Amino acid sequence: MLQPKTMTRLLIVGSKEQMPSAVTELYRHHVFHITDYTDQGKEGYEGFRIGQPMEGATELSTDLIKIRSIESIFGLSPDDYLGTKKRSSRSIKEIIERELPAIEQEVSNLTAQRSVAEARIKVNEQRIAELTPFSGIPLELGLYRGYETVSVIAGKAPREIEIPVPHEKFIASDKGNDTIVLFFKKEDRAAVEHALAEAQFQPIPIPEEEGSVRKAIDAYESEISQLTATIADIDEKIADIKEKHGDFLAACDEVLSAEVEQAEAPLRFATTELIFIADGWVPVSEVENLKSGLAQATGDKILVMDVGETGGHDDDHENQPPVEFDNPDFAKPMQAIVDIYSRPRYDELDPTLIVAIVFPLFFGIILGDIGYGAVLLVLALGLQRVLKGETVQQLLKVLRNASISAIIFGVFYAEIFGAHPGALDIELWHPLISRHLLIGSHAYHQGDIAVLLVFAVWLGIIQMTLGRIMGVYNHARHRNMLHVMGQLSWIAFMWGALLLIWSIAAIPLMPDLTMLPPIVMGLNIAGIIGVVLILAGAIGIGIESPLELIELPSVISHSLSYTRLAAVGLSSVAIAMVVNFIAIEMLIQPQLTQLTAAGILLIIVGIFVLLIGHLLNTALGLLGGGLQSLRLQYVEFFTKFYKGGGEKYNPFGKKRNLTED
Amino acid sequence: MVDLGVATVTLEMVAESQMGLKAIGAALAVGLTGIGAGLAEMSIGSAAVGATAENKDIFGMALLLTVIPETIVIFGLVVSLLILF
Repeated sequence: MLQPKTMTRLLIVGSKEQMPSAVTELYRHHVFHITDYTDQGKEGYEGFRIGQPMEGATELSTDLIKIRSIESIFGLSPDDYLGTKKRSSRSIKEIIERELPAIEQEVSNLTAQRSVAEARIKVNEQRIAELTPFSGIPLELGLYRGYETVSVIAGKAPREIEIPVPHEKFIASDKGNDTIVLFFKKEDRAAVEHALAEAQFQPIPIPEEEGSVRKAIDAYESEISQLTATIADIDEKIADIKEKHGDFLAACDEVLSAEVEQAEAPLRFATTELIFIADGWVPVSEVENLKSGLAQATGDKILVMDVGETGGHDDDHENQPPVEFDNPDFAKPMQAIVDIYSRPRYDELDPTLIVAIVFPLFFGIILGDIGYGAVLLVLALGLQRVLKGETVQQLLKVLRNASISAIIFGVFYAEIFGAHPGALDIELWHPLISRHLLIGSHAYHQGDIAVLLVFAVWLGIIQMTLGRIMGVYNHARHRNMLHVMGQLSWIAFMWGALLLIWSIAAIPLMPDLTMLPPIVMGLNIAGIIGVVLILAGAIGIGIESPLELIELPSVISHSLSYTRLAAVGLSSVAIAMVVNFIAIEMLIQPQLTQLTAAGILLIIVGIFVLLIGHLLNTALGLLGGGLQSLRLQYVEFFTKFYKGGGEKYNPFGKKRNLTED
Repeated sequence: MVDLGVATVTLEMVAESQMGLKAIGAALAVGLTGIGAGLAEMSIGSAAVGATAENKDIFGMALLLTVIPETIVIFGLVVSLLILF
């Protein structure tokens, strides 16, 4: 909670004979985050080189590439087969040797046939395109050539052309793009070409065929339809093979990926002629388990050194342990949201837990509607069944939590699809805080706008103070007292400003300190404490960094930024109520008293407006509620303490989904 | 002929026109800040999309930078709410 998992650095040293079994064991445990060895003459690593891949790595990679290419022909992804019965990896390997060549042969044959057919279609289409201009000219194709004294030119021209020499002309008109065929004496060629060039004439080739144009085109077209049928046939065969062998291929992919990764693991180790060293990180809770596993697998012929936690220095990126979240289950989906911003560093607080509580809360405050919340809840639950993939699932869980929170706040606000259902004279119940607006003739409550705004600012003050306190903690851990003081100064400045405001003006929901007797310059005791805190804070901030003094107004702007919780919510209520008003009170209700044909049409329009309006508002509510409350976390909360940029914990190995030993 | 010079103004008419001016003020507050925020986000947004295309890891930072000017329009919305209610 609030801290990433504690990691221990392990150095695994052994002779090269032990390497394969050690690698297999590490892969199986799936906890060892390898730090890649880079050949840069690091101190203590003289004479070490990056390891060579194990024997057979090349063959395995070749097989894997074959499988991947078949998969891409099939449009198949191993994730599609999640949840099918697991196969034994030993049997898979046998089948790979026995069946893979045959499958590959069959698939490559089929794809070759398909590409031949496709090329053939292209050629035919080209021929048809060449023939089409001649279809309007009443000549057989054989008549266009084979003369001794006569030349033929065919082409396109935008208009009629006058030829100054004896000739025979055929025209197939086509709206300013006529096809013209000219027969003339060979010796007149120069004169004809000159006349044609004047008239923007574009020559086209004369097809080398016999017989009627129409027949030739028909022949090509029938061939194309035959070829298309062949391609469909081939596609069907490919689909059959996918159906039959898809799960096997997915399992092969998994087995081979695992083996290739293992065979190439030495590329990440430091090796000499005789030994190898694997450097990496393991969560503390897994160390014993891994050690005993390695000892067993290699018959105690391997040395595992516990180097301990050496990271923790601010600028020492190389030795920073990788970061794995450690959160209670309900907060886990939010890890994806924090990751979108940046993975926390190993030596700073992980804000996931706080965001997991605050994000749905803010989303609920903004959307706050039983109807919209229920729609989004159904959407989230529905998509959870349809969509696959880890991140998507996590984000959908976030949406689920957020929409439940929206329903709860909808109960507080007494809202279902807007504050009241339009013309219908129904008061749901008395809202705890009202966001109702006086739109339409059945509005019951005036909105508590000021209360809502101040409530939102309070949430901001609390969250920003929390952020600063977390900043104090982060800096204190590094014994960075200057920054600790800076963060404390910011807290003092903010609360000083608040005290000063309270002592001057009475604000709903906030303590009213205007009653205290004034002491100096019209300021009462609270005001004076406020001024002192402001000055002390400003001095402290200035000492930390004079440049930050420019940022002082951000205390005000960031607090006011939280008013979006009320403002964005109110605008979505306004849209909902206007939709209800237009659809029900203006369009549907007046027609119900006296039904006419036009009236029924208006009612249908009204229902349409109602549906589209609320659909749009649901989308806006999802975007507004989600992005705005996310932004409050990212901009107003995280900037107070959070750096991010930690390396993701990416343990060597992979969870087997389709196969088992 | 009605003498246009001496049109009478009742108290209700004054109240109504005050409401109207308030509404115009609120509309200006939202509308102008909306334009301002849009202008500011325009260039930041296009730069952010470009940067994210180069390196997906900075999506969070890009989103953060893009939405910073959004506060302007929220202030406008708050001001208009305060004017109206």
